[in-house]
Amino acid sequence: MNGQGLRTVLLIAGAGLVVLLGQAIPAFFADRMPQAPGEDVLALVLGDARLEFSRSLEDKAEEYFHGGVRHIDCTLQSDAAEHAHAEHVHGEHEDADDHDHDHDAAHAAEAKTAGDPWQWIDGHVHEQAHRHLKGDQTVEVLPWLWAATRMSPKNIQAYQSSAYVLSYVLDKPEDGIRLLEEGVRNNPATPELDFSIGEVLFNRLHNAARAEPWFVSTREKCLAVQNDEKHAEELALLRLRAVFYIGYLAKQRGDLDRVRACLQEAESLNPQHEIVRNLREMLNPSETKH
Amino acid sequence: MNVRACQIRALAGLAVLELFRRKDLIVVFVLSAVILLPLTVLTPFGVAGASRYVNELALLLVWLFSLVIGLGVSARLFPPEFESRTIYPMLAKPVARGTIVVGKYLGALAASVSALVVFYLAYALLEGVRQGLWFPPVLLQAFVLHVGFMAVVTALGLAGSLLLTPSANLTMCGLTVVGMLFFGQRLPALAAAQTLPGKAVLTLIHWFGPHVEFFDLRQRVVHEWPAIGWGVCAVALVYAAGYAALCLAVASVAFRKKRF
Repeated sequence: MNGQGLRTVLLIAGAGLVVLLGQAIPAFFADRMPQAPGEDVLALVLGDARLEFSRSLEDKAEEYFHGGVRHIDCTLQSDAAEHAHAEHVHGEHEDADDHDHDHDAAHAAEAKTAGDPWQWIDGHVHEQAHRHLKGDQTVEVLPWLWAATRMSPKNIQAYQSSAYVLSYVLDKPEDGIRLLEEGVRNNPATPELDFSIGEVLFNRLHNAARAEPWFVSTREKCLAVQNDEKHAEELALLRLRAVFYIGYLAKQRGDLDRVRACLQEAESLNPQHEIVRNLREMLNPSETKH
Repeated sequence: MNVRACQIRALAGLAVLELFRRKDLIVVFVLSAVILLPLTVLTPFGVAGASRYVNELALLLVWLFSLVIGLGVSARLFPPEFESRTIYPMLAKPVARGTIVVGKYLGALAASVSALVVFYLAYALLEGVRQGLWFPPVLLQAFVLHVGFMAVVTALGLAGSLLLTPSANLTMCGLTVVGMLFFGQRLPALAAAQTLPGKAVLTLIHWFGPHVEFFDLRQRVVHEWPAIGWGVCAVALVYAAGYAALCLAVASVAFRKKRF
């Protein structure tokens, strides 16, 4: 056997040994292996940078939602909802809206490139019109959101956006809920994901009995983290919304004492908010109408 | 005139053969397949139907590998000839130095474009099979403009190979091209935000740097935007031809003045 052949045989033998050890060690030392799984390779290599990478992937999903246009000042969830509303209200004028976006972009490009041939070429090659993915096309954002959730399980926004697309756009609410539940397991102290599950169950599956515990847990988690000054306002709003749903579901059961308690809590959070007015209306519909 | 054309064709043919002899193309093609094939079967959250992410990654790889091939081929045209002294027999023949530069440039460009044809055919096949979208006009435009990009990059690499050492040439050209791809579009805005020395430097780069970002139609292809006007396409190609001619003029002067 020549040197080349010997090297090949040794290489194959070495690879075989590695595979054999990989299979044999867990089998032989099953009771002596660590019982809690360690961190995955991504966590070991990237550490806290994972969240930043994950947010970049989420930005990419936003870019896809806007048909490949970057730095648009609107988000997947808010914008999809607004445009869905616009579609509903304006109906056939939707195309005209898109045309206006194109038209504005063209005017902006012309104004920007006056006297500069390089910018003229660039403006015409990379002309960016404001457009959105619609209906089933929205599936295109999922690979990036999937990568964002896998890159960092702490990226709550990625879980929410993915679940939004699955539940509201692609009509797969059970898949959306499963994903949100995974997010809750990875972020047990975060109230946002509980609230999202409650909303999907209530608004998409119309299952009030399954939804209510999630609104209750949202409220409890908001109370548990209310010392978080940085997000105090967001948490107060989330708690207010959870309290509204709890009150609404109580009203459906005829539990007016619970509705009153909810109203009291909502008033203590933000007496001027529309939610408080709605809760008052629930208790005294005739009074509020006058 | 006819003799010069024959000389240029012979020089160009050698550069094309060199690319295929070195098997660079096969390596990058296999690498692309290894990266892309697992992605084509990915179903995120169990939902199938997404294809743009694969298209985007495929085009990114096409751009990356075309840059590597274009720069690699053009930067290797002269230095090995100087090192192995095979340039002397060539100079001893009745061939003008300008003809050698143009012939080698056209060879490098032909080699790079032949690789590009393979990449785009593979991409078109991928897109056609996955999405049923066979050769849309915007893909043809993307290919045509990519050829313009290769014309600029190979000219830059060739001019650099006569002015700098091989490693410095590859580094400088690579940084310039990647930098322009990332920031070329935003140079006027970046210049406007700077104070005087920085502003002057960025303005100079804006006016004289190679605007390779003109040739990047990836976003349009991936997100199925409509094709651009062929007039705009032609203007971008004229820019590429002009910039390549400028680089070749510099390379010719450098080659004429080079002492062996």
